[in-house]
Amino acid sequence: MSLRAVRWGGIGLGVLGVGLTILFHWQVFFWVPTEASMGIVQRIFYIHLPAAWVAFFAFGIVAICSAVYLWLGEEKVDHAARAAAEGGMIFTTIVLTSGPLWARLAWGTWWTWEPRLTLTLLLWFIYLGYFLVRSSTENRERGRKFAAVVGIVGALNIPLIHMSVLWFRSLHPQPVVARTDGPQLHPDMATTVFTALGAWTLVFLSLFLLRYGVARLEAQAERREAEGRGMAPSPQPGMTAP
Amino acid sequence: MTAYLRLVLLIAGKDLRVEFRTRERVAAMGAFVVLTAILFNYAVDRTVIHPRELAAGLIWIVIVLAGLLGLGRTFELEKEDGALQGLLVAPVPRDALYLGKVLSNSVILLAVVGLTVGVFAFFFQVTIPGNPLPLAGVLLTGTVGFVALGTLFSGITAGTRMGETLLPLLLFPLLVPLITFGAASTAHLLAGFPPGESAYTLRILIAFTLVALTAGAGLFRFIVED
Repeated sequence: MSLRAVRWGGIGLGVLGVGLTILFHWQVFFWVPTEASMGIVQRIFYIHLPAAWVAFFAFGIVAICSAVYLWLGEEKVDHAARAAAEGGMIFTTIVLTSGPLWARLAWGTWWTWEPRLTLTLLLWFIYLGYFLVRSSTENRERGRKFAAVVGIVGALNIPLIHMSVLWFRSLHPQPVVARTDGPQLHPDMATTVFTALGAWTLVFLSLFLLRYGVARLEAQAERREAEGRGMAPSPQPGMTAP
Repeated sequence: MTAYLRLVLLIAGKDLRVEFRTRERVAAMGAFVVLTAILFNYAVDRTVIHPRELAAGLIWIVIVLAGLLGLGRTFELEKEDGALQGLLVAPVPRDALYLGKVLSNSVILLAVVGLTVGVFAFFFQVTIPGNPLPLAGVLLTGTVGFVALGTLFSGITAGTRMGETLLPLLLFPLLVPLITFGAASTAHLLAGFPPGESAYTLRILIAFTLVALTAGAGLFRFIVED
């Protein structure tokens, strides 16, 4: 994809995403019926669930791009992995902020060792490790490889972490949207959830594309600077084994 | 196949010989275990809870912390005199190198695990079940799984500025399955439950270990490649 297409794609999706975000906030505040047992606080759900969905979606992209990067060694794919990880970190943070706010009122506690909560918190830390590994290596290429390994191992471990936290008993409301027998929601609630899901997926994709574009520009600028100094952009200066 | 196995054993043998001659890591980890147990004795108020009741979980935490101490050194030793470069130019596949390192680290850590259980039995009257095999199986599987991930990540952290400080940050989130199932089955076995009840947790531990070993063997070449 050309940089121009990436930029305009990012801007276009961003405009759409922000529009839908405004729309779903209107739905959340003024339109959707109040849930009978939990009351007004249930409305956090419309922010919480789509954010969680996007956070896991982003981690999927990170894992796939990391594997492809190690396989092909293409720098662009690593830019994509990093862009997805940054977006994923934002949405994981939204999940972790909105969840406890809701839990305080619905469960009477900010935090419990509930499977999905725990899994999301661990996901946040895996992302953190992913960025720290990348930023604390002197050699760029090694940093990218290290991060890719962390991304892949993290993703492989997610199902096992999920199993163990599930086994550690559950308080979290059971799924109401992603069920095999179809969503169990009031139709207006379902509409709001899907608007929110669409909105944040678009916002994420827009951030992803824009960040990816910036990463490519950065790489270009670095390459030009290196050429300007009359040095070939050697990909592996002082490469040493650990 | 046998040639490959021989390579793995050669690498592990080399590491173990170094360890046997210096006894650096085992001594540090062993002392760490005993001292942690002593501190633990004073950290727990016996009028509220007996240390024995927390033993299973604490054994695992001590193993992980002592393991970190040793794992962080896996590649430090190889940094001297360009030893790792020597290994890398040798005609050894990267995965054999990794598996050899996992093997030697596992042997060292297993010695420490044995010591940990012994120390807990000695200090806190933890009763070892009459048939220690199921407990040994759980600890063995858990240790190998932990070392498999730890060796891979210590290869990574050795190449970063932050070094060993980064190791727990990368490793701990991924150890949740290991601690959950490992500590649960250890607690059950120490409490004298029939070993059959731990079959499920042991299966998950084995799955974890296999995933960790496969991922490590497959990905190790990307972190040492030059």
